[in-house]
Amino acid sequence: MVALVIALALLFDFTNGFHDTANAMATPIATGALKPRVAVAIAAVLNLVGAFLSTEVAKTISGGLIREGDGGVQITPVMIFAGLIGAILWNLVTWLLGLPSSSSHALFGGLIGAATVGAGFGAIDLSVLLSKIVFPAVLAPITAGLVAFLATRIAYAVTKKKQRSRFKIGQIFTSSLVSLAHGTNDAQKTMGVITLTLIAAGFQDTGSSPELWVIVVCALAIALGTYTGGWRIIRTLGRGLTEIEPAQGFAAEAATTATILASTHLGFALSTTQVASGSVIGTGIGRKGASVRWRTAGRIAIGWLITIPAAGLVGALACWVALAGPGGIIADAAVAAAVIVTIFVYSRRNRVDAASMAVANDPAALVRPKRRKSKDRANG
Amino acid sequence: MIDWLAFLAVLVASIVGACGVVFLFSVGLRFTGSDSRRVRPVGVLAFVLCGLLIVYGLYLIIPAFHR
Repeated sequence: MVALVIALALLFDFTNGFHDTANAMATPIATGALKPRVAVAIAAVLNLVGAFLSTEVAKTISGGLIREGDGGVQITPVMIFAGLIGAILWNLVTWLLGLPSSSSHALFGGLIGAATVGAGFGAIDLSVLLSKIVFPAVLAPITAGLVAFLATRIAYAVTKKKQRSRFKIGQIFTSSLVSLAHGTNDAQKTMGVITLTLIAAGFQDTGSSPELWVIVVCALAIALGTYTGGWRIIRTLGRGLTEIEPAQGFAAEAATTATILASTHLGFALSTTQVASGSVIGTGIGRKGASVRWRTAGRIAIGWLITIPAAGLVGALACWVALAGPGGIIADAAVAAAVIVTIFVYSRRNRVDAASMAVANDPAALVRPKRRKSKDRANG
Repeated sequence: MIDWLAFLAVLVASIVGACGVVFLFSVGLRFTGSDSRRVRPVGVLAFVLCGLLIVYGLYLIIPAFHR
């Protein structure tokens, strides 16, 4: 059981990595500041480094959403197992749809669903759910959007047109900062899950920090996921929302970096994914002549809204089956594996990879991007 | 339930940070790319300040530096 949970946690870490490559690297890829392969390689290395830099692991996996510990619910490995299945499956579904959705929310959602089935509705702290997830989900994109809007205006006001392509150099630095910050945060989540599982199973003392091998495998899993690159999401963020020029890319990345750093250090946690998406929209509003495709933005917003319920539903179902006994757990794992394989097979029918990210040098492609987009959708 | 003060602090800090970096980098581009030689040092100075802000970002990201 423990081995199964660890394997699933690493799989989640992997999906987390490839889901979130877009946050840092969508805009530099879109403007051609970095070649797609180079961009994901940089992101992967920085995620790897970032995972080692910080070992401050979340004390509770759910960040207080579930009443863990004394007087609350005992989170069992079975619940973690079911929650992880919910999180992984939802991450893959949103990836298939090209939606940037928060991996942490998927994890929380899955765990909430599993805990509800395993321990009843009392297990969930609703006020924490509202103040930690729902409000920030509304505020994150608005904040980042406003910041990116102002930054974009400044960039265009100060520079002359012929100078703006050199923003590409700046983009490399700002997007690297986002990647590093991502590594220091997100790999910790998986380390926390694995460590808590080991503690729950009695392999490790309560309150002890993660073992070295846990840190190493988590870092590798997230780096590998990042390198694999969630190209569909990169396409949505880099091209789908608005056309991005180098100055905008720089402004958006600066806004993302500043907002994430401010939120982690001033005690108001915001989701990286939502901040990054908000920045891209904000920069789209900020440049004169750019248009934001609100339909795509709307799809992303709907994705955010249903992330927790959807992952929760899968987590709940998985937990319900798993509680039936060892047979249930095997059935869960088999069904999850089947769904994952199906999603991958399905995704091959409409491949999106590094090659499809190449910056179009053909001016016609930039003038009528909308048509291309709708054609893509017809295929998918 | 929601810590508006903390949120405001985040908002202000993000605006200052992001706009600061973008402004400095833009000024750097504007003046180093300018035809007049006299303003070039201003551009270089702006780049240096911008670099310092990025380094500060690094400092914030890496916990070993500030804990």
